[in-house]
Amino acid sequence: MAYQAKDRITSIQTAVILANTMLGAGILTLPRTVAEKTGTPDGWISVIIGGFLAIAAGLIMVMLSKPFRGKTFYEYIGQITGKWLGSLISLIVVGYFCLIASFEIRVLAEVADFFLLEGTPSWAIIMVFMWVSLYLVTGGINAIARLFEIILPITIFVFVIVTFFGITLFDVDNLRPVLGQGVMPVLNGVKTTAITFTGFEAILIIIAFMHRPEKASKAVIVGTSIPLMIYIITVVMVIGSLSVDGVVTRTWPTLDLVRSVEIEGLIFERFESFLLVIWIMQIYSTFTMTYYAASLGLSQMSKRNLNGFLYGLLPVVFLMANIPKNLAGVFRMGDFIGNLSLYLFGAMPLLLLAISKLRGHKGEGISRK
Amino acid sequence: MYGSLSSNLQKVRAITARHSDVNIREFSIAGSSVGAAIIYADGLADKDMIDQHILKVLMNDVGEETITCSILTNKVLTVSQITITHEIEEIIRKVLTGQTALLVDGMSEMLIIGTMLSKSRSIEEPISEALVRGPRTGFNETLSDNTALLRRHGENASLSMIAMKVGKRASKDLIIAYMEDIADSDIVEEVKRRVSKIDIDNLPESGYVEQLIEDNFLSPFPQVQSTERPDRVIAALMEGRVAILLDGTPFALIVPVTFSMLLQSPEDYYERWMSGSLLRVLRFAAALISLLTPSLYISFISFHPGLIPTKLAVSIMATRVGVPFSSLVEALIMEIAIEILREAGLRLPKPIGPAMGIVGGLIIGEAAVQAGIVSPILVIVVAVTAISSFTIPQYSVGIALRMLRFIAMFCAAAFGLYGVILFFLMLCVHVVKLKSFGVPYASPAVPYRLNDWKDFILRMPLTMMKRRPKMLKTKDKVRKG
Repeated sequence: MAYQAKDRITSIQTAVILANTMLGAGILTLPRTVAEKTGTPDGWISVIIGGFLAIAAGLIMVMLSKPFRGKTFYEYIGQITGKWLGSLISLIVVGYFCLIASFEIRVLAEVADFFLLEGTPSWAIIMVFMWVSLYLVTGGINAIARLFEIILPITIFVFVIVTFFGITLFDVDNLRPVLGQGVMPVLNGVKTTAITFTGFEAILIIIAFMHRPEKASKAVIVGTSIPLMIYIITVVMVIGSLSVDGVVTRTWPTLDLVRSVEIEGLIFERFESFLLVIWIMQIYSTFTMTYYAASLGLSQMSKRNLNGFLYGLLPVVFLMANIPKNLAGVFRMGDFIGNLSLYLFGAMPLLLLAISKLRGHKGEGISRK
Repeated sequence: MYGSLSSNLQKVRAITARHSDVNIREFSIAGSSVGAAIIYADGLADKDMIDQHILKVLMNDVGEETITCSILTNKVLTVSQITITHEIEEIIRKVLTGQTALLVDGMSEMLIIGTMLSKSRSIEEPISEALVRGPRTGFNETLSDNTALLRRHGENASLSMIAMKVGKRASKDLIIAYMEDIADSDIVEEVKRRVSKIDIDNLPESGYVEQLIEDNFLSPFPQVQSTERPDRVIAALMEGRVAILLDGTPFALIVPVTFSMLLQSPEDYYERWMSGSLLRVLRFAAALISLLTPSLYISFISFHPGLIPTKLAVSIMATRVGVPFSSLVEALIMEIAIEILREAGLRLPKPIGPAMGIVGGLIIGEAAVQAGIVSPILVIVVAVTAISSFTIPQYSVGIALRMLRFIAMFCAAAFGLYGVILFFLMLCVHVVKLKSFGVPYASPAVPYRLNDWKDFILRMPLTMMKRRPKMLKTKDKVRKG
């Protein structure tokens, strides 16, 4: 048995998984990356557009999966493109998920090394993290969904509190003028922001586990809206407090903002530990989901037991995480993943959908509905 | 089997030579003067009953007619429970449970008469689960008393009690109780299946049953709830859960269990909803405090003094100047000391216990600070932790959190705050993977069930709690119209 066919998740759980997978490294870096590209304070508009693009891409994937009820992308791709091309695409997708997983833990190691654990070797940081994640994925999609349901409310709760206290530094003038240099800077930033939403492609996999796949579109919309809100608030707050010039010079602008907030009279005058807590949890959820998606892909392609791949992929991901030599290399890796995701999950699903429709008229794959 | 009294008695004597507490009393029946004998066990059989309803009627009141088995059971013996047997071995078995055997010369049947003397503790308030408000009754060690208590609390024809026998050598009665038209039959069948699979010599306490039927023996969390309170059992039954009662122990078991249930107390329902809810929130917070405070102390002191307010960090550091140990060793010393104190207080006779607490807590803590072994802040941390853990209503959960606290401390010592976060994630992963009789242990928290959240961290007004918990898949879903 390649995966536990009995495992089913609700549409709420689907939305939660999507939201958790999308929220990741971006929370700490998005304000900088978007400000670098736009050069104006209008980054938040780019975020909104990027979010809507992500929703659109997600909906296309739902349409793509619709005729193949109860099947993951890996299982039905062969029916659209033919066996060999399908296997190739599946392999690329597996590689892509591995790449995201290794990118996430590498960023985690960098941040942990910089803010929390100076001197602790990064392999130790990464390894314990991967073990905790392995413990979760062996529980299957149901355990993943339930854990994400615990993490998401904690994230939102802490995020709202941290933002609330950050409001003391907020200055609306930093966000003015709106569209002062026209629409072009905003469009320049869209690519960056759209990349931040990578993770929505998890719907290609988890739609197979849904109780009621017909609700997948709703789940995509709700699931994307949550990170969309969080990212908008982050960009608005950080750029609004630190100004565009202040943001581009800082590697982790969101953390810097939270560090500079000091509320007198409370037990905790500083909040970066809280932000780091939820951020680590979000990295954990993104890593777990992408890692699970990659292992599931290999298991379904080879029709072998999932557990073997869950254990076997760990060293691969670990080695991949060690490829970038320095922080700049890590960010280049992130850019590469973003570009890959644009082609793989922006353009390709449209193409596949067209082929599937054409073939559908011939009545081959779709008749299985 | 032939009916000669003397030969039968000879066989009985041969077997009971090893049982000094088994007595044989020979007599002759009035009227016909046929020889007869009763066999009973000292202390187990009710002697008054034997005198009044067996010996007196047989030696005084019987007329001249020939004595047969049916005459004895139908006309002579004024006892409710009589069984007939032909086996000497069975007689001995039954006599050892407190029944009395009656053998009559020339009669092939032997009668076993129910004369069990039940000496049970009177019904008292349970010590381990004291309440400010609520019924002052608790189970005792007699199974029939306990089932009667349940009946009295919930007189309802739907309350089913299935009797089973467990234990190979010391066979004991066990009862599985549930509400026929509420409880999910899958859960009931699963309980029956697991109980019937118990294959062990002897079950001295329901804790044995608990350990033999639980889902995961590697988990630190109890997956079966034990209670001495009949009202708690009835409330659980009404929610669609299943109770297991074992003869010889006042602790009943309730399954399936979810984690949130273990932090709830019956008082949450007896008091008005606002105080009930607030106390429950307090208990959840206390559980978190008792789990994580020492590990957070260790991680902030050893790894990230920069993350706490500067003034606080400076004052803590100032008090730790003379302390020769790392924060982990320091915390371990105090935590282990307080665990020893707690265990000692439990074992001591009641009048000495509190005195011991004062000696241990105050004097040792004060002296340790004076001697510069630990910092005063740590003493506060340890005290807060210990007191928080006392708010947890279930002893077994308290122990689980105490064990986990030490693991958290080691995680903190190795990886600081990062280690504590990973520990928390690990714990969450474990809880979401755990199930108790098919019900996810983490429910109703996840998967989200808004209806069940009315009775989760908050206890909503009774008028709003109209439905039974959905996670239990009850047959009858409506609790209140």
